[in-house]
Amino acid sequence: MPVSDPQQTPAPEARRASTWRRYLRFWGPHAASDVDDELRFHLEMRERDYLVRGLSPIDAHTAALRRLGNLDSARTACIGIITRRERRMARAEMLDVLRQDAKFALRTLGRHKAWTAVAVFTLALGIGANTAMFSVVEGVLWHSLRYPNADRLVFVVRMPKQDLGNDRVFVSPSTSVARAWRESARSFLDITAYSTRDVLLRARNATVAESSQAGTEAGATLVHAGIIMSDFLQFAGGRPLVGRGFTATEAHEHAHVAMISEAMWRGRFAGSRRVVGRSIAIDDSLYTVIGVMPESVRLPRTFGAPDGTDVWLPRDLSDDSTFSPTVVGRLRRGVTLKAAATQLDSIAARAERASETAPAGRAARATKAAPLQYSTQLLRPEQLVTIHDSLMLLTGAVSLVLLIACVNVAHLLLARAATRDREMAVRAALGASRRRLLRQLVTESLVLAGAGCAAGIGVAWLALDALTALRPASMVALADVRLDATAFMIAVAISVATGIVFGVVGVLHGGRYSAHDALKGGARSVSQTAGQRRTRSALVVSEMALSATLVVGAALLVRSLVNLQSTDPGFRPDGLYSVSIPMVQTTQDAMERRTHVLEDLEQRVRLMPGVQDAVIADAAPPNQSFYEGALQFEGHAPPPPGSTSFFSYNGTEPNYFRLMGLRIVKGTTFTDTSKAAGQVVVNEAMARKGWPGQSAIGRRLRIVNDDGSGNWRTVVGVVANARLAGMTSDPTEPMVFVASAEHFNPTLLVRTTGLTQPIIALRRAAVELNRGMAQPDVRSVSDAMSASLAEPRFTMLLLAMFSVLALVLAAVGLYGVMAYSVEQRTREIGIRMALGASRQDVARTVLRHGVSLALVGGAIGLVGAFWATRLLTRMLYGVAHTDAVSFGAGALVLLGTAVLACLVPARRAVSIDPAIAMRTE
Amino acid sequence: MADPTTEFLKGTLDLMILKTLSWAPAHGYGIARWIERCTDDVLEVEEGSLYPALHKLEDEGLITAEWGITEHNRRAKFYRLTPAGKRRLAASHAYWSRFAGAVSKVLETAPASA
Repeated sequence: MPVSDPQQTPAPEARRASTWRRYLRFWGPHAASDVDDELRFHLEMRERDYLVRGLSPIDAHTAALRRLGNLDSARTACIGIITRRERRMARAEMLDVLRQDAKFALRTLGRHKAWTAVAVFTLALGIGANTAMFSVVEGVLWHSLRYPNADRLVFVVRMPKQDLGNDRVFVSPSTSVARAWRESARSFLDITAYSTRDVLLRARNATVAESSQAGTEAGATLVHAGIIMSDFLQFAGGRPLVGRGFTATEAHEHAHVAMISEAMWRGRFAGSRRVVGRSIAIDDSLYTVIGVMPESVRLPRTFGAPDGTDVWLPRDLSDDSTFSPTVVGRLRRGVTLKAAATQLDSIAARAERASETAPAGRAARATKAAPLQYSTQLLRPEQLVTIHDSLMLLTGAVSLVLLIACVNVAHLLLARAATRDREMAVRAALGASRRRLLRQLVTESLVLAGAGCAAGIGVAWLALDALTALRPASMVALADVRLDATAFMIAVAISVATGIVFGVVGVLHGGRYSAHDALKGGARSVSQTAGQRRTRSALVVSEMALSATLVVGAALLVRSLVNLQSTDPGFRPDGLYSVSIPMVQTTQDAMERRTHVLEDLEQRVRLMPGVQDAVIADAAPPNQSFYEGALQFEGHAPPPPGSTSFFSYNGTEPNYFRLMGLRIVKGTTFTDTSKAAGQVVVNEAMARKGWPGQSAIGRRLRIVNDDGSGNWRTVVGVVANARLAGMTSDPTEPMVFVASAEHFNPTLLVRTTGLTQPIIALRRAAVELNRGMAQPDVRSVSDAMSASLAEPRFTMLLLAMFSVLALVLAAVGLYGVMAYSVEQRTREIGIRMALGASRQDVARTVLRHGVSLALVGGAIGLVGAFWATRLLTRMLYGVAHTDAVSFGAGALVLLGTAVLACLVPARRAVSIDPAIAMRTE
Repeated sequence: MADPTTEFLKGTLDLMILKTLSWAPAHGYGIARWIERCTDDVLEVEEGSLYPALHKLEDEGLITAEWGITEHNRRAKFYRLTPAGKRRLAASHAYWSRFAGAVSKVLETAPASA
């Protein structure tokens, strides 16, 4: 059979189908229709074949179909293969395009190295500083406690209802009240209590007897102990690494069992799993180790609690007056602080009425309790961190820096955008779609942001290192802080957004660029529109304003710190040392023993060469001792019950004032230290309080206890006000000094003149007398006083650094604007110079332009600062928040920076050759 | 389809397609007709397996496809061999020869009669 060509005449319906298919194909390749076409072609060819062989059209069609068989699975298989391939290709193409764009972006950025460097540097500074600061805040304030549901954690304290003038006086609840809370408080999921103490841990092999003979250096170290209840582990959401926690029975019986910290387990017991059952000697007894506490379980860092707990001992709330518990609880969901506090108040009132005891004072170093009226307060953990305010301030400041950095970047992008009109126009003319151009710009911004982020991480790392190195001692938590990913992400997100918005918007502003115009004009004559110029000026002005605010804030803090450091504390801390012996046991015996030791030490120290004098008092600066009671002044009515307060009280000996360098302004020091004589010395503030306008000498006052008792005492002298509680303390706090040989918590004060290595000498003397007891605590009072400046100094330093950062960034922004402006007006300047303008005139014009921008921004910033520095008031000492000197200094610094920023553009303007300038387009 | 010829055909379809295309580019129907003509219609090409095989080969990069116009103005997808396809063809052909030779030997060798 001749095989003739079956393709002579296409069937009419086939032609119609192919037209439709052709139409569809206009919209791009489509897997399904392609496969269908192919199969249809095959089918038609088969049909033709059969037709040629003589079958009728219908038979041919049927035969062909039968021949082809079930094509569904084939069709699906083919479509599947094609689709998968197309997807692979699309992905590869996209990656390719991205890679191309990125390479192009890098090349473009590389062409303007200076610009890119400034942009990346700016971004890095903003991102890095912010990440570091936020990580610090996060670590110190919010995540210092890794307890479950830490956001519902509150501390329960009692605060006196009366306003005592002191900032915050907290008192622990009594154990009976705490017990009542645990039983009845419905608003809490759970409540537990703990306290801390320092205990003597004896060396491994030394027995108790041996180490007390050998002396403390040989045998014992003072370690931190956490006294916890049996449910504490569960409260903290932790589990013992080895062994178990305390049972309720053990807690109730104060059994001699202990948990050791992970650090001690690894160190002293070499991580052996057979540590359970071993004994350790704490104080004078043997304790059995029953478990190991993981490092992740910590006591909250509050109330001056020590950093890190070494051993854990069990206790419960059965009545024990030496256990002043810190009560902490977890609120139920939906319960407000106020509601919970009210409930706790009523429970406490009932409990107190039942037991007729008042809360044990914890802040007070007093022995007598007084009927102070207390209310219950709930505090969130972060409120108890003393540096909270400073950190908040610094966070605000660093956010401003980020803002300025973003403004700068926006600025840089706009500046460059103006010169790219031509490039964009050319590319559009060559066929790039708008989407392509947009994608290119976005990629550029992303590459820039990526470089900024990478550099930002480095900056954040360095910044965190620096912050940790500079930290004041009170910020122990800072040692643990790590870079926080969230903060980084936020900073990055802001920067990327800025980059994209300004990078894209700047170039494709409305897309109204006309290729024709852009191509015809030369690159130079692509001038800014008025709108663009206004935007850029506005940006610079805003930068200047923000910087001005920061600079003023920093100036205020600097002045405040200088004030603090040069303030006369009212006594002489130099050469003054304090020796105290931390209490290990609070038994009567131990306390008496300690007093004896100190008295002996006083005698011995007085005989040491280089020591001028020594005295025992209740506290050494910057610590203070308080009395909880009511004061009654002669000639005034007795204080009504319930009006007790805390007042500063120091029991000491006659030579105290001379030793301390406190100036006696009236009268004398104690002449008779007997109890019967009841002599007291008051400071000026107390004298003015009790007998305003009169002499206090010979007057009497009375310290009233809870039972109404209290002897009248006679004022024999008045001393000048002094900052005995630290450099930042209020010297106008009324103080009473009582002639007393009885001390609740005695401290030895030593005035030395030229004693070499006083701390070591004093400590050696103390240890010799104090065998078997804890290491004495010898401090230099002047060091302690300047340490109280550590926090303000830290805050000031950081704020100063941030304001310098802000100034630098703002200066760069100003420089950019001025440089561009000069470049734009080259021709105009050239003409002016040709017409006779002198170099000074030209320079002056440039400077005037720049400085006026800075002045406008500065003025706005200063006005803003007027309002903003109100937030600083609590941190300022001796300086008003509207201090003129600081504001003036801020303005001057800003002006100076502006002038500096304008110098280079001015010089460039001056060096324009008029002839060349006029010829340029 | 327990027909032994069909089974063999499936495994060697790729080889035959590649060989067919080595003479000249062709569309799917053309490949089928060529194979049928070569074998005098002994081998009937299953369209259900031909097209998936073609697309698979294209996916592997052994052949490329292009829509073109036949001599009589019909639109069809033409396949052509790539250099990789040529290499694969040579290898498969060699393997097939060895395989076929081995099978023949088995079929022809009789046990040695003692």
